[in-house]
Amino acid sequence: MSEKTPFQSPKTYKPGLVFQPSAHQHIQRGINTLVAAIRPTLGPTARTVAITRLSNDQKPPEVLDSGGIIARRVIELSRRDEDMGAMLARALICRQHERIGDGTATAAVLFQAVYNGGLRYLASGGNAMRLRFHLQAALSRILGLLDEMTFPVEGKEKLAQVAETICHDPPMAKLLGEIFDIIGAYGQLDIRKDHRRELRREYIEGMFWNNSGLFSRAMIMNRAELQTVYEEPAILIADFKINDPRHIMPVLEIAVETKIKKLILVAGDLSPDALAGLLLANGKLKNFHVMAVKGPGLNPDDRMTAIEDLAVLTGGIPMLKAAGHSLKDVTHQRFGWARRGWASPHSFGIVGGKGDPRRLRRHVSQLQARFQHSDDPKQREKIIQRIGKLMGGSATLWVGGISELEIERRKELAQRTADAMRAAVKDGALPGGGMAYLACRPALERGRRESADPDERAACHILYQALAEPARAIFENAGYDPSEIMAKLMTRDDLYGFDAVSGQMTDMKQIADSASMQKMALRNAVLTAGMALTLDVLVHHRTPEIARQPG
Amino acid sequence: MPATHSTLQLQHGDTVFSLAASPDFAQDGICFAACASGLYRSQDGGRSWESISFSAEHHGQMAATALAVSPDYAQDRSLFIAVKGGVLRSSDGGDTWFTARFPAPPPLFSALAVSPSFEYDGVLLAGTMEDGVFASSDRGTHWQPWNFGLFDLNVLCIALSPNLQQDETVLAGAETGLYRSANGGRAWRATAFPTDKAPVLCLAFVNEGAAGKTRILAGAENHGLWVSGDEGESWTRLAPAIIPESVNDIQIIRKPDGSRHLFALVNDGLLTSADGGQTWTRLMQTGDAPTALLAAADGSIFVGLLGKGIMRLPAPSSAPGRSRYV
Repeated sequence: MSEKTPFQSPKTYKPGLVFQPSAHQHIQRGINTLVAAIRPTLGPTARTVAITRLSNDQKPPEVLDSGGIIARRVIELSRRDEDMGAMLARALICRQHERIGDGTATAAVLFQAVYNGGLRYLASGGNAMRLRFHLQAALSRILGLLDEMTFPVEGKEKLAQVAETICHDPPMAKLLGEIFDIIGAYGQLDIRKDHRRELRREYIEGMFWNNSGLFSRAMIMNRAELQTVYEEPAILIADFKINDPRHIMPVLEIAVETKIKKLILVAGDLSPDALAGLLLANGKLKNFHVMAVKGPGLNPDDRMTAIEDLAVLTGGIPMLKAAGHSLKDVTHQRFGWARRGWASPHSFGIVGGKGDPRRLRRHVSQLQARFQHSDDPKQREKIIQRIGKLMGGSATLWVGGISELEIERRKELAQRTADAMRAAVKDGALPGGGMAYLACRPALERGRRESADPDERAACHILYQALAEPARAIFENAGYDPSEIMAKLMTRDDLYGFDAVSGQMTDMKQIADSASMQKMALRNAVLTAGMALTLDVLVHHRTPEIARQPG
Repeated sequence: MPATHSTLQLQHGDTVFSLAASPDFAQDGICFAACASGLYRSQDGGRSWESISFSAEHHGQMAATALAVSPDYAQDRSLFIAVKGGVLRSSDGGDTWFTARFPAPPPLFSALAVSPSFEYDGVLLAGTMEDGVFASSDRGTHWQPWNFGLFDLNVLCIALSPNLQQDETVLAGAETGLYRSANGGRAWRATAFPTDKAPVLCLAFVNEGAAGKTRILAGAENHGLWVSGDEGESWTRLAPAIIPESVNDIQIIRKPDGSRHLFALVNDGLLTSADGGQTWTRLMQTGDAPTALLAAADGSIFVGLLGKGIMRLPAPSSAPGRSRYV
C-alpha cells in the first residue's frame, strides 16, 4: 500500500525578478493551465473536474462543474511565475462568480483568447499600451452592440428557458422560472436543503425574520403550532434593552388609553423583571394582550436596517437608544400597525403592514438604487433580502436528492442559477450558446478593414478571434468539430445557431443567456487581458507572508 | 339635454356598490345590484328588483360590497358577491349560496373580477381594503392572498385583460397607485401611474381592433380619466376640460359592427365617447353622487346612486327616440 503524501505549501521562495520574454511566457502558461481546467465546464454538455479535498483525504475527490468553484479551489500553482498568471485568471473568474454566479468559464476562455492573441501581436513588435487602449475602445463598441441585442425576459416559460441554459436541470429550471416570474429581480428567495428526493417551492406571505422571536415561551398562545398570532396588532419598536418593569407602565397606559387590544413590543433585549411585568399585564388587563419580540438581526447593523424596514412597513416611529429615547417618551403616534403579526420562539413576522405605501415604494426604490451601485457581494445579498421582505412575500426552494452529496451539489447549482436568473430578470437576456458574441464579429471585421492604425487593426482582429472562442468551447465540449460548425454558422447572418444538446440549428433566442452575465464576462476578460498584456517584469518576495505584511 | 330615465328605489337610503348583468342580458334581462342592504336581482331588464337572501343566517341584510357574474352565466348560472369577511358563490342564479372563508381579521372587499375564460380556468380575483388581492382558481371555493410586490394593500378596483389566457395581464387600482401583474395576479409591479393622482377608482382594457393593441383606461379620484398605450409605462390624461373631477366607473359596450362606446361615470353624471375616449359628451345628469355603472350588452344603462337606488336608461332599441348615445 502506497503512503499518502500530505499536501504541502511552499513557504519560502528565492526572491527575484523575471524579465521579458520569460515574464510573458510564464504568465501565459499559468493562464493556460487554469483555463484548461475550467474550459470543459462551458456549455450545456459540460464535463466535470475532480479535485482532491484539502481538509479530509478520507473522502472521495470533489467533482465540480462550476468554473467559479474550481478556480476557488486552485490555490496556487507550483511554479511561482506561472502562478502569477493563474492568479490573474483566478481573480477574474472569482469576481464573475461572486457578482453574477454564472459565466465564469465564458470569462475564462475569452480572457485566455484575448491574452494569447495579444501576446502574439506583441511578439511581432506591437505596443502593449496602445493595444490595450484599442482593445478597450473596441470593447465599448461590442458592449453597445450587445445592448442593442438584449431583450427582456418575462413569463415563467421564458424564464425557465433561461434557467435551463444555466443549470441544465429541467425540473429545477421550471421551478426557478415560476419563482422568478413571481418574485422578480429583487424578491427574496431562500434555497434550502430538503430530505425529500425532489424539488419543491413554497411562498410565504408577508415579512418575517428568522433570527428573532418571542422572549418567552410563556407568551405562546397556540401551543400546537408554537406561535402566537395577533390580529390588528399595534407594534412598538425599540432598539434598546428594557430593564426596569416600571418603564413598561407608560407603554401599557397609552395602549389601554388608545384602546389597543393587541400589542407587539419589539425590543433589543428584555430583563427577566420586565418580562415578568409584561406577563402579568397579559393576565391582569382585560381585552389586552402583549407579546415581546426580540429585535431582528444578528449584529447592530442588521438590527438597525431591520428596525428601519419594520418602521416603514408598519408606519411606526422607532425608539432609538442613540437618539436618547426611553419608554417614558412613548406617544400613540409611535405605534405602527399591521393586519396580522405572529411570532414563534425563533421567528417573527408581519402581514399587511399599515405604513404609508408611498413611503414604502420610495424606500424600496432607494434600496434598489443601492443594490445597483454596490459591488460588495455581501452587501448586495443583504439589500436583496431587505427588498425581498418589503415586497410582501418570499419564496423558498427546497432542494432534495438521493444523497447528501447530490443535495449539496444541487443546492449550489440552484443558488448559482438563481443569482444568474436575478441578473437576467433585471437586465434582460441575449442569445445564448456564444451566438451573441458571434453576432458582434462582423462589426469588428468592418472596424479592422476601415482602420489604418495597426494597433487598432490588431485589437479588432484579436477580439474577432476571441469572440468565437466560447462557441468553439461549447461545440468541443459537446463532442463536435468546432471548425465544421463554425463554417456552417458563417453562412448565416441571423441569430440562428447550433444547439449543442439537440445537435440542430435553432433560433438561439430560444436558448437565452443572462445579458449581464455575457456583458460582464466579456468586459472583465478584455480589461484583465489588456492589463495583463502590459506586464513587463515579475517581482517575487522571499515569502508571500512577508510580502503581505504592511510596511 | 339629459336622456329620459327612471329611478328605482330599492330600500330607503340604500347605496349601490356594484352592478352586473348576465352576458345574455338582451335575452334573459337578468341583472344584479350589490347594495348596502344586500343583493338585488332583476329578471325583467331592470324594471323591477327583488331582494335575494344569501343564507338563513344573513337574510339578505348584510351589505354586499362587490359583485361579479360569470361570463358563461347562461350555462353555469354562477355569480359571486363579497360581504364582510367572505365571498359567497351561487351556481343557480342566486337562489342558494356557499361561503368561502378568509383568514382573520375579516377582509373588507372592494372589487370582484371573473376571468373571461372562467369556464376553463375558474379564476376569480378579489380586491380588498387593507388585505390586497385574493385569488381563487377553483371557482371561488378556496382563496389565497396574492400580494407579492403590491405595496399598497388598499385595492379599490381590479381589471382582467380580455385576453387573460394569452397575456395573463391584470390591473389593480389602489389608494396610492396602479399595479400591473403579468402572471394573472400572482405578482405585481407598480406602473408609472402618478402617485399624486391616485386613488385609482376604476379600470378598463380597451382593445384597439384587429391590430391587437390594448389601451388601459384608469379613472382617478379628483383627477379625471387617464390612458396608457404601453402597458402602464406612461400615462396621459384624457379630456381634462370635460372630465375634471373623479371618474367612479368605466364601462365599454362593444357593438356587433365592432364599434365601441365608452361610458364614464363622473361625480354628477354619465359621459360617453364613441371614439375611444378622445371626445366625450354628457349622456345624463345624475345629480347625486353616482357609485356604480352597468352598461348592459343590449345598450341599457344602469347607474347606482349613493343612498338613492338605481337610475335606469333603457336600451335605444327598446325606447325609440332615446338613441342619443348610440
